[in-house]
Amino acid sequence: MGLRLIPVSFFTLIWDMKGRIFSSGIEHKKARWGWTFIIPSLVFFSLFSFYPILNALYTSLFRKKLLSLDPPRFIGFDNYVYLLQSPDFWNSIRATVVFTLGTFVPIVVFSLIFALFIMSRKRFQKFFQMAYYSPAVLSSVVVAAIWLLMLDPRGLANQWLNFILNTPGIDHKWLANSAMVQISTMMVYFWKYVGYFTIIFLVGLGSIPKSIHEAARTDGATGWTDFLYITLPLLKPTTVLVSIMSMLQCLKTFSTQYLFTQGGAPMEPINVITLNLYHTTIRDRSIGLASAMSIILFCMMLFFTWLQFKTFRSEEVQY
Amino acid sequence: MGGDMMKKLCILSILVLFFTVTVSAALAKVELTYWTHEDPNRTEIENRYIKEFETANPGVKVERVTSPSGKMAEKVLTAFAANRGPDMFNMEIEQEYAYIVNRRLAPIDSKAVGYPSDKAIYDAYLPRVLDPATFDGKLYGLPMELTNWCIYVNDRIFKNAGLNPEKDYPKTWEEMVEVSEKIVIREGQIIKRRGFDFRYPYYLVSMVPMVEQLGGQLISDDGKKAIINDQAWIKFLTFMKEWGPNGRNLGSPTYTPARSLFNKDKNDVAMCESGLYQQGRIRQDNPEFYNSKEWRVIPYPVFKNAVKNVAGNYYGHYFVVNASKPKENQQMTWKLISYMLAHPEEYLSKVGLIQPTVKLMKSETFKVMPYANVFKEDMERAHIVYYGENSAKIQDHIREAVESVMLAGASPGEALEKLKRRAQEALQER
Repeated sequence: MGLRLIPVSFFTLIWDMKGRIFSSGIEHKKARWGWTFIIPSLVFFSLFSFYPILNALYTSLFRKKLLSLDPPRFIGFDNYVYLLQSPDFWNSIRATVVFTLGTFVPIVVFSLIFALFIMSRKRFQKFFQMAYYSPAVLSSVVVAAIWLLMLDPRGLANQWLNFILNTPGIDHKWLANSAMVQISTMMVYFWKYVGYFTIIFLVGLGSIPKSIHEAARTDGATGWTDFLYITLPLLKPTTVLVSIMSMLQCLKTFSTQYLFTQGGAPMEPINVITLNLYHTTIRDRSIGLASAMSIILFCMMLFFTWLQFKTFRSEEVQY
Repeated sequence: MGGDMMKKLCILSILVLFFTVTVSAALAKVELTYWTHEDPNRTEIENRYIKEFETANPGVKVERVTSPSGKMAEKVLTAFAANRGPDMFNMEIEQEYAYIVNRRLAPIDSKAVGYPSDKAIYDAYLPRVLDPATFDGKLYGLPMELTNWCIYVNDRIFKNAGLNPEKDYPKTWEEMVEVSEKIVIREGQIIKRRGFDFRYPYYLVSMVPMVEQLGGQLISDDGKKAIINDQAWIKFLTFMKEWGPNGRNLGSPTYTPARSLFNKDKNDVAMCESGLYQQGRIRQDNPEFYNSKEWRVIPYPVFKNAVKNVAGNYYGHYFVVNASKPKENQQMTWKLISYMLAHPEEYLSKVGLIQPTVKLMKSETFKVMPYANVFKEDMERAHIVYYGENSAKIQDHIREAVESVMLAGASPGEALEKLKRRAQEALQER
C-alpha cells in the first residue's frame, strides 16, 4: 500500500519514513515530493490559523482590556460562564443560527438547480456561468452598500415589488422591520454566493461520466429518475462539500449585518456572533470576552461540520 | 585601467549614497504622525499650518492621515493595541476618555504649548470646557472643536408648504411634530419629503437632552445608577415610537440621513440637526443655496411640559498626544498643536469650528458668523455630552431601545426594561 497524504495516514507516513528513510522506492520519492509541496501550506496554516486559534483560546481565559496597561488577570472560564448567562449572547446565537439555516439551505438547493439548468443548455453555457458567478467577485462591503441603496424606503426594492404586486406606495420595510431585516440579509448573502456554489456543482456534474447516464437511459430511466437515482447519489461528495462550505461561510457572516446596522437597520434582530464580537472588541475593548466568543463560534462550526459529515457519511462514491 | 576606474566609481557611488542617507536621516530628526477625520475645509488650512510648522522647525516632518469619522475609533484602537498609535490624534471626547483613564495619553506640556502654567491654559478657555480632558488633576488635551447642534431650516420648503419660516418654525417638540406633518409628502407609506429627522447614531448628543427636559437622567449624580426617572424615559420612547414608521411615519433611521440631504436643497427634507460647521459644508456643496440666504438656524426645541430647559449636548474633539512616543516627539507634537490652535478665527470662518477660548468668543469673527448667537445661547443652556469608559456602549444600548420602539414594534415599557439592565451593566463594567 502506498503512502497517502491525508491526515489519517500522517503517523503511518512517519513510521514508513523511519523504516525506509534511505530507501529509493518510487513511492517513497513520491511521498517526499508530496511533503515538499504541502509544507508551505502547513507552515502558512500553522502561522495564520492554528496559532491565532490557540492564542484566542489562551486569551479567553483572561480578563484583558485592549487599552489597559495593567497585566491581564487570569479568570479561568469566567468569560464563558458570563457569555452563557448573557441574554444578548443567546440572542446572537439565535441570530446566527436563523441566518445560517435561512441562507445555506436555499444556497445548496438553488445552486444545484442553477447548475442543472446551465448543464442542460446547449448554448450560452459560458455566459450563464459568468452571469451567476459575477456577484461573487464583488467585495462584501460593496455588495452590502449597493443593496442598502436598493432597500432604502425610496429605493428600487420597494419600487420593483410594488410594480410587480401592483401595490403602489407600500413600504415593505426591508430594513425597518425585525423579520424583514433578517430576510434582507439572507437575500443579499444568497445573491452574492449562489453563483459561486453553482460553479462548484457544475464541476461535480461534469465529472459524472456520460456513459452512466447513457446506460441508465438505455435501461429506460426518465430524466427525473436519472437525476434521482444516478445524478444525485453520484453528486454526494460535491453536495457535502457545498453544504459544509456554505454553512461555514454563513456562520462567519459579518459585513452585510455590519453595514446594514450602520445604515440604520435595527441591531438586535441581526446581531450575529461576529457582529457582537466586533462590538465587544472595538467598542468595549474586552478582548478576553471577545476571544471566548470566537472560541464558542469555532466550536459551533466544528460541531455543525461534524454533524454534516455524520449525516452524509457513506461509502466513497466511485464511478 | 578600466577595472580600476570602475572600482573607484563604485566606491564613490557608495560614499555618495551613504552621505545622502545620513544627511537625510539627520535632517528629518523628528517624524510626527497626525491622525484625524475627513473634513475637506479643515484639510486645506491644516496642511498649510503643517507646511509652515515644518519650515519653522527644520528637521521635523509631519504626516497628516485622514479617515472617515466613523472609522477613527476602530483605527486608533487597533493601532494602540499594537503599540503603533500616531503621535497625535483627535476624536470625540466620549471615545478619547478611555485613552486618558488608561494612561495612554501624555499630560500637556504647558511650556511647549506656549503657556506659563496649566492654570494659564484653563484661564484662556471658557469655564468647564477642559474638564472632560482633565483626569487626576492633569490636563490631557486641548479642544480642536467644541460643537453643539441646533436646527437648520430650509425656508424654501417652509414657504412651499404654506408656512412662514419667520414665525412658524417649531419651538417645542410637539410643534416639531405638527410642522413636520404639514411639510411631509408621502406616496402611500413611503416618505418623499420629510419635515425634520433626527441624527440617529448620535443618541447621547441629540436625544438624551430630550429625556432631561422631561426630568430624566442618563446617569445618577453619584455616577452609580443608569437611567433615572422611568416616566421621563417612557415619555421620550413613546414620542420616538410615534415619530417612526409604525406611528405617525414622519421619519426613520432607515432613510438617508437628513443632514446629508439638507445641503442639496432638493425638496427632500426641511430641517436637520447640525453644528456651526454645517454652514461651511453648505457653502462648499451648494453655493447657490448658501448665498440665497433661504436657510436659517433655530434653537433646539423643548417639550411643552418640560421641567428643565436644556438644549442639545455639546461635544468636543480634543487634540491629544500618544504617551508611548519619545519625549522629544511629545514636546514637538504639543508645539505643533499649539501652532495649529493659534488660528482659532480661521478655523471658525473657514471650517465653522469653535475652539472655545475666551478670546475667540469675544472676537468680531465669532460675532459676525451667521447665527453664531443661536449656537452660543443654546450652548449656555446645555452641558457636555456624557463621557465615560463605556459611553459608546451605553449609547448603543439607547440606540437599541429607540430602534426597538420605532421599528420592531416593542412597547416603551419593554424597551426601557432592557435599556435599564444593559446600561446598568455597562456602567458597572465587569
